[in-house]
Amino acid sequence: MELGTPGVALARSAAEEPTGPGEEEEAGEHHHHGGGFRVVQWEWSYVQTPYIIAMWLLVASGAKILFHFSQRFTTVVPESCMLILIGLVLGGIVLIANKKQLYQLDPALFFLFLLPTIVGDAGYFMPARLFFDNLGAILTYAVVGTLWNAFCTGFCLFATKLLGVIDERVEAGLMDFLLFGALISAVDPVAVLAVFEEVHVNDTLFIIVFGESLVNDAVTVVLYKVYISFVEVGAENVQTADYFKGVASFLIVSVGGTLVGLVFAVILGFVTRFTKKVRIIEPLFVFLLVYLAYLTAELFSLSAILSMTFCGIGANKYVEANISQKSRTTVKYTMKTLASIAETIIFIFLGISAVDKSKWAWDTGLVSCTLVFIFIFRAVGVVGQTWVLNRFRLVPLDKIDQVVMSYGGLRGAVAFALVVLLDGEQVKAKDYFVATTIVVVFFTVMFQGLTIKPLVNWLKVPRSTNRKPTINEEIHERAFDHILAAVEDIAGLQGYHHWRDKWEQFDKNYLSKLLLRKSVYRKSELWEAYQKINIRDAISVIDQGGNVLTSARLSLPSMASRASFPEVTNVTNYLRENGSGVCLDLQVIDNIPGAKVEEDMETHHVLTGNLYKPRRRYQSHYSRHFMPLGEKERQDREVFQRNMRSRMETFKSTRHKRHKKERSLKKRRGSDPKDDSGDKPRRNVSWQDKDPVVVPVEPEDTKAEHSDPEKDEDVGITFIAHKVETPKQRPKSVPAALEGSPSIGSQSPPSDDPHLPWKGGVGSPPPCVSVEATKIIPVDLQQAWNQSISSLESVSSPPAPAEPVHPRISALSRLGGPRPASYTPPGSTTGSTTSISAQVSQGSFCFPEKKKKKKKEEEEEEEEEEGVQEMQPLMSFMRTPGSLPPPPPPPGSSRRRNPCVYLRSLVTAPPSGGEEPHSRGPTQL
Amino acid sequence: MGALQSSPGHPEYIDLSEKTGFSIEQIGVLHKRFKQLSHNEESLRREQFEEIPDLACNPIRAQIIEAFFDKRNYHQNGEGTVNEIGFEEFLVVMSHFRPPSLHITEEQLEKVRREKLRFLFNMHDTDNDGTITLEEYRHVVEELLSRSGALGKETAKSIADAAMLEVASISMGHMEPDEFYEGITFEHFLKLLDGFEIESKMSVRFLNMDTITLCK
Repeated sequence: MELGTPGVALARSAAEEPTGPGEEEEAGEHHHHGGGFRVVQWEWSYVQTPYIIAMWLLVASGAKILFHFSQRFTTVVPESCMLILIGLVLGGIVLIANKKQLYQLDPALFFLFLLPTIVGDAGYFMPARLFFDNLGAILTYAVVGTLWNAFCTGFCLFATKLLGVIDERVEAGLMDFLLFGALISAVDPVAVLAVFEEVHVNDTLFIIVFGESLVNDAVTVVLYKVYISFVEVGAENVQTADYFKGVASFLIVSVGGTLVGLVFAVILGFVTRFTKKVRIIEPLFVFLLVYLAYLTAELFSLSAILSMTFCGIGANKYVEANISQKSRTTVKYTMKTLASIAETIIFIFLGISAVDKSKWAWDTGLVSCTLVFIFIFRAVGVVGQTWVLNRFRLVPLDKIDQVVMSYGGLRGAVAFALVVLLDGEQVKAKDYFVATTIVVVFFTVMFQGLTIKPLVNWLKVPRSTNRKPTINEEIHERAFDHILAAVEDIAGLQGYHHWRDKWEQFDKNYLSKLLLRKSVYRKSELWEAYQKINIRDAISVIDQGGNVLTSARLSLPSMASRASFPEVTNVTNYLRENGSGVCLDLQVIDNIPGAKVEEDMETHHVLTGNLYKPRRRYQSHYSRHFMPLGEKERQDREVFQRNMRSRMETFKSTRHKRHKKERSLKKRRGSDPKDDSGDKPRRNVSWQDKDPVVVPVEPEDTKAEHSDPEKDEDVGITFIAHKVETPKQRPKSVPAALEGSPSIGSQSPPSDDPHLPWKGGVGSPPPCVSVEATKIIPVDLQQAWNQSISSLESVSSPPAPAEPVHPRISALSRLGGPRPASYTPPGSTTGSTTSISAQVSQGSFCFPEKKKKKKKEEEEEEEEEEGVQEMQPLMSFMRTPGSLPPPPPPPGSSRRRNPCVYLRSLVTAPPSGGEEPHSRGPTQL
Repeated sequence: MGALQSSPGHPEYIDLSEKTGFSIEQIGVLHKRFKQLSHNEESLRREQFEEIPDLACNPIRAQIIEAFFDKRNYHQNGEGTVNEIGFEEFLVVMSHFRPPSLHITEEQLEKVRREKLRFLFNMHDTDNDGTITLEEYRHVVEELLSRSGALGKETAKSIADAAMLEVASISMGHMEPDEFYEGITFEHFLKLLDGFEIESKMSVRFLNMDTITLCK
């Protein structure tokens, strides 16, 4: 597929001797300069072909840019129309300059290079589930509908010819008209994609029209070939047996094409299982094998489009799971780019070909009759088939759907390429057919393409909801699969769900085992969805974290353009630079308790809370075979972890209320009163040494990081120095469990040290320096955390080694892990949208008893005399990871903030739209 | 074929048909299946459900089977479970999976939606206290993932947690500082699956013809 461009070049070079107008003159001049050694040579003839092609693409792409400048224009005019218009203009220029059309859509070029790029993209990104859910409808429309269109158009044109509406000069018999009907009747995938992807109709409607356009290729190609052979033999010589051969040929072509595709899909899935060490060429396998599926089908004159489509659909699931995230992106973008290029070329060539009068002959009767017939028969066919289908469909297609489907029957480049391929000797009326086809294509793409959007608006066709499913929807989606399968089983029906369930079991038991890497095999799709949602969430939270900083009267340069920062990296890197600068400066400053220090402290404090790990300098590293692991990935993972944890923590608090309520309903047991009101005695017991476990990072981790460029495992170093919890809400069975298990973490008594953290001596390095030695994970979250880590790694790397499970896990998990609300790591403050809430919440889990004071201070910025006092909580907050937090807060005071903070951030999180628009797979160009 | 023979002989089918919305033919088919499952007895027990071979590898079969014995699914105010169900109950539960008829008003569709969601809600709300608590929700997700082996349990836990958080954020919006989310109520459940085309997704095509005999 990536051979596309050179392929174009080869195809072109045969046809072109003279070149474009401007270049030719210049070339001519320079050639006369010959004689002796020339320092600079004019090598136009050498670079000519690729040069022209590159210029073509540049012009088209430039036009696209210009086109998209105007918002209003793009919403009205589909891109395909614009491209055709450009083609017309370019063709006109070339024609005027040369008196002869140089560029023509070459069928070989079209079928071998341009079409596969588009079909490959469409097939690979086809939403498989949707496709198979609607397979019945798609097949009906594609096979029955296309046959109906072909025959009716053919026969009716022949009838109008007999009636004398079509001019005498059109020398065509019944066979010719049937042939023409066959090639003009198929809905074209390129045109449908180009128009429908901008219309955004609902998914079902889209997949039916688009699926039909892909699958009907088999019908068209077979009909076309059968008729060609009939025309060659002569209509009178065709025997009855030949008709049966035609039918058999159809079956073989379509089923064979599908099988070839599936075989290649299996090969592709299997190959990508083993590409872990050759990540760089991973995408190449995808392109090559998908393209080979197309070529192989073409080799045996099977339906290549079907082959490629099914190869894409079949392999997608396994390939996407096997290859790394980067390869996935590469595959996606390359496919989209190639498809976009191919589409551009096709439409421009359509425009150019239309200008060249020598290639076609006009007959008004034929053209108008064809237009009327294809429109009428399309509509009649759709209505008739839908009537039948609706008797079987659970979700009937209503009238509006039918109108859109009828109107969306766009013809395109496939028809044009087929008609150009006709042999003028055999088919006398070829020129007339070419003209008619061009008109039909133009009419459907331009007129219908232009009007379909207003039509869809006017009819209020349900649009695709441009959003990702929520976790709950995802869960229920999956639940329904099983529920419906179960109901069908109970009712003794062998319906669709029954078979799909059977297939999934087969896939799970055999196919996935064969085609998926072992590390991927165990992961569930639901988990993937969950993880994606989490990352998205985290990223939006970070964006808001940036806002917190700006408004927190920090001594950072103002970041007015923050909203326009496209990526998280920018923001955080930016902050880091500033942050570390602040750090260095502060080391020089004497510790004078006062507003200045206090402010610095706040800066420091907020930065510690919001910043992520310091970025390592980018290693200058070059290798052709490996790509260094990007910062971004590590960062994403870190963001993800933090966000996850804060979610979990806040959530636990949410849960706790209920738990408490239940408990209070029951008779209180001995320790309950203590839990509820006896917090005072425990105030000084830090929660830190009870709950989180300080786990030394395994040495291999860091070692491996340097030795193995693929290893993503340098996670787990976090800034979180401690977590504070109110003992008050501690489940009563935990203490018992705790007694048996001394904490692993190093302990130190709550410190009164009034110094800034960077004054704390060797033991407490400034938080801006990454503390690589420890990782602190709340015990009962360890497993979930590990999963989150491992799921974020590139797919190939083995799941993270299980952390040593603390004995308390069992105790906590038995209890359902109810947890005090204030148990919130500093990371959670990134979620706050305003500076005040960020600081308050940070303050609150440090020294909640001072919350009121702090809050006031932050609101009014006046209480400078409190400097030293205020500093203390902050100081201890910034201790080294092992150090202890200050006494836990009184009941209720800190519990109040966090859910609120968190929820706000969740609610205000921007919709996914911007990040990753809900793509209908194949159509995103 | 079975339906045609049995319809004159079973006048009670007409009542059932009015009650459940199934056609007489569909009732005939389902009755045959019922008898097949119950070995020609008048009632069905849980064990007989569990004997269905295709159900064996369904991860949430326990919940489904339980739904058939749940009185809440028979009529509005039922509560508790039964040990045996007759054909009528079988049919009533099945009718929750009937696709909505083609020509109904917006209001009726909403009613169908509610009924279907109520069924689903009851399935999750195992202790019938009007809310799906986190434990219950976790249980659902756990069962869903139970096919994926050891990883399933922990994953399920975190997924359920995240999902629950999402519910809280969707249904409560801004929460007051001392407010906490206790569990999914039915109203929240409706809101939660608002964008979910339940009326079409929770539907099975029941056959008018008797294919059971053909397939067995």
